[in-house]
Amino acid sequence: MSEKSMKLIDLKQGQKGIIVSVLGGRGVTQRLTDMGLTPGTEFKMVRKGRLCPVEISVRGSKLALGCGVASKILVKVKE
Amino acid sequence: MKKITIALAGNANVGKSVIFNNLTGLHQHIGNWPGKTVERAEGTLVHEGHTIDLIDLPGIYSLSTFSLEELISREYIAKERPDVVINVVDATNLERNLYFTLQLLELGRPMIIALNQMDLAEKKGICINIEKLQKILGVPIVRVIATQGKGIHDLVHEAIGLAENGYKKPNIKYGKEVEKEIQKLTKSLNKIELNYPKRFLAIKLLEGDEEIKKLILKLNPKIIKTVENRAKNLEKLHGHDRFTIIASERYKITNEIVKNCMSIGVCRSKFSDKLHEITTHSFWGYLIMIFSVVTLFFIIFTFGNFFSDILVGSLMNLHSIFEQYFGTGIASNLAWGVVEGLIAGITIVLPYILPFYIILGLLEDSGYLSRIAFLMDRFMHKIGLHGKAFIPLMLGYGCNVPACLGCRIMETKRERLITIFVVTLIPCAAVTTVILGLVGKYVGLGWALSLYIIDLIIVFILGRIAFKVLPGEPTELIMEMNDYRMPHLKTVAKQAWFRIKDFIYIAFPLIIACSFIIKVLDVTNLSESIENLMKPITVDWLGLPVFSGIALIAGIPRKELTLITLATHGGTTNFAAILTSVQMVVFSLVIMLYIPCIATIAALVKEIGWKKAIFITVFRIVFAIFVGGIAFRLLTL
Repeated sequence: MSEKSMKLIDLKQGQKGIIVSVLGGRGVTQRLTDMGLTPGTEFKMVRKGRLCPVEISVRGSKLALGCGVASKILVKVKE
Repeated sequence: MKKITIALAGNANVGKSVIFNNLTGLHQHIGNWPGKTVERAEGTLVHEGHTIDLIDLPGIYSLSTFSLEELISREYIAKERPDVVINVVDATNLERNLYFTLQLLELGRPMIIALNQMDLAEKKGICINIEKLQKILGVPIVRVIATQGKGIHDLVHEAIGLAENGYKKPNIKYGKEVEKEIQKLTKSLNKIELNYPKRFLAIKLLEGDEEIKKLILKLNPKIIKTVENRAKNLEKLHGHDRFTIIASERYKITNEIVKNCMSIGVCRSKFSDKLHEITTHSFWGYLIMIFSVVTLFFIIFTFGNFFSDILVGSLMNLHSIFEQYFGTGIASNLAWGVVEGLIAGITIVLPYILPFYIILGLLEDSGYLSRIAFLMDRFMHKIGLHGKAFIPLMLGYGCNVPACLGCRIMETKRERLITIFVVTLIPCAAVTTVILGLVGKYVGLGWALSLYIIDLIIVFILGRIAFKVLPGEPTELIMEMNDYRMPHLKTVAKQAWFRIKDFIYIAFPLIIACSFIIKVLDVTNLSESIENLMKPITVDWLGLPVFSGIALIAGIPRKELTLITLATHGGTTNFAAILTSVQMVVFSLVIMLYIPCIATIAALVKEIGWKKAIFITVFRIVFAIFVGGIAFRLLTL
């Protein structure tokens, strides 16, 4: 696993990652953690085109994230 | 006979409503929570000699205070104390569903889990060890396939047993450090008397829940101080926010449970995945979306036109029969006004709105609408909304009333307001009949289509202005996309019926009353003086004939009435003889943009209050007249 953390939105389609933390206000953070994006959670970038939003699969479900949110989530790439 | 109250709770899209419909049949009603616009579906049934009140709580992911729905659901369970809570769990998405289950358990009511969509889970190769799951969670679990009605009666049977025999509180423990804090805190809450269980309060305090904090602060501010200190310690220890810590703990538990009780085989449903991939594709997805939306409208309006012509023809034949019985006096004329209002309502609901909502319901239930929301997110962001707002917008093309109520899916007040504002600008089926019947028929379909495009541009511009003017941050899309599934016809039909019901209850009485008033104006010849009063606007500014004044007024109850009024006051149904092409375009444009119909105004008042509703209405009248006048000048250059 690489050491540097990056924004979720910078992952390429098909890459897997691990959630490091969520930046931003309480509302967004609460919502995201409630949806299962807690630190240490593995996920996969399922769809990432030139357009927003992106789609990730996490804990067995598909989640659509707007680009604003997706750039507030810090992740590590899982090789 | 004993009365039992059962509440259905669970994530969105897990089949709660299907179970609810299955159990209550026609004995149900949907209302709002007192003082709040969050839907509340209630019904009664009789089972094994017991009368059961069933409450369908809104679909939510957590019991925090992120949305009004979440807050209301937890308040309901804690304060109204239903005898049993049935937690509907999607077997194909166990982990995230159990996250909510854990929180429900903390509310301490007797609980049963309805493990739903077992058929889909099996198809996906998901195998769940129910006995084991039952043992870990400490609550009874019933296998259910709601769409086929399987397991539903076992569910009620279990619930009655639970209500009568009581149950043992399950005990699910968090990780070591957090659990220690929770237990300490629970003890110090010993003397606090609130509706919520102490352990729930302790967890919520640690999490930093503002509502609970406020409640405790009133009773014992000292506790809050110690909580804040302990929470800070935990945050230091874990390196994350307090609510992230608690959420992580819960997910650790659910993850552990899933590892223990669930295994996934190899046979995944390939078709649903392929379909998902292609319908969210950045090229094919948009192509499919445009194709399906265009097809939807094409089907609705060709079918609607055909059916509505037959309907109007046969219903208007009633007029001569009516006159045979009641004569042609003033009283009979006025009474006919009432009948006419009724006919106007029926001829818009049956041919247009009903089929529209059935097809839309099929798309919604299959899961396609959430894909459209996904695709439209980028565009909706331009007006400060996210993809989900596209769903009420689509509803608006049928009727603005259910569309306004549909804006409740937006999370914050600000977004609801912007969405509602934009939704009322969408030409509903009634406006479409005017545009097609006037511009489409006499000026050309190209012109009719351009009116729609102009409308979309106006929606975009006004939406963007509202987004800039209203204070607050835009929220972002965080949306689950459930797997595609076959739509459940009964649920779709119910949904369509409830949306139509919104229209019938709010709109019908108002349409009939207004139609009557217009007849009164006619009979008393007041309409002529009104037409003359409106002359500076209609004739001088908009370049329309004098008799169009009363037609514009007739559009207040229902916009399709404008055509009928235009015909009666112009003396012919051949509009080409009384209006020029430019006049038709200007007239349709004004009809499309001016005052939302009376039923929509009523819906606005219900959703956003008097002041904002009046503001929107007045703004729209001024705006429509302004735009209409400009259009007239541009078209006659």
